[in-house]
Amino acid sequence: MNWHLLLLSFTTVFLSELGDKSQLAAMTLGGSSRSPRAVFLGASAALVLTSLIGVLAGEGAAQVLPTALLKGVAAAGFALMAVRLLWPRPAEVQDEDR
Amino acid sequence: MQLQEPTRPLPLHPPETHSELHSQATPKQAAPKQAVSKLDPKVVLATFSTIFLAEVGDKTQIATLMMSAQSQQPWVVFLGAAPALVLTSLLGVMAGQWLSKKFAPQVLDTLAGLSFLALAVALLWDGVLR
Repeated sequence: MNWHLLLLSFTTVFLSELGDKSQLAAMTLGGSSRSPRAVFLGASAALVLTSLIGVLAGEGAAQVLPTALLKGVAAAGFALMAVRLLWPRPAEVQDEDR
Repeated sequence: MQLQEPTRPLPLHPPETHSELHSQATPKQAAPKQAVSKLDPKVVLATFSTIFLAEVGDKTQIATLMMSAQSQQPWVVFLGAAPALVLTSLLGVMAGQWLSKKFAPQVLDTLAGLSFLALAVALLWDGVLR
């Protein structure tokens, strides 16, 4: 077992992921959800799978995956969620007569 | 020909927001936030797909890819990368929980909306415009 490489990859990934998009997403989803454990499970599984793909596919991954398209889809999804959350809700209008 | 006038805008909001919790049962009461112990598969799936789409081809994946290629020991790299990723998501979710206790639901919704907006812009910048 190459402990040096293990530690190197752990540190590299941990530092590059700290404060990154996916962590912000996990934070937002985990904060606004009733089941934070479900968010944690989903986020972890997705991240582990992406790194697994990265490890297995090697240098072919960049050619195989339509990265720009996937990111575009994700961006649209986030934008949709943002609009839904920021949309003014008539039910929540407070009494302003007082 | 009859035209039906919409009396109010469509209620667009996700089921996951605090304000929407228990809305059918108690419309006017702020119900206490219950600790839900069972895993909601919908939440797992939604989170999974969202984060998976966002992370594919991201710098973290490129980093693991490079390290695997250089070292020729992909499994060691994976064993290092996987716990790091699990740990960052754990920290993220914990931070989110902490924030949700500090702010009112409406403030949280706005913060979450802005955060998603920022994510959308960042992803567009990353994957499409560059």
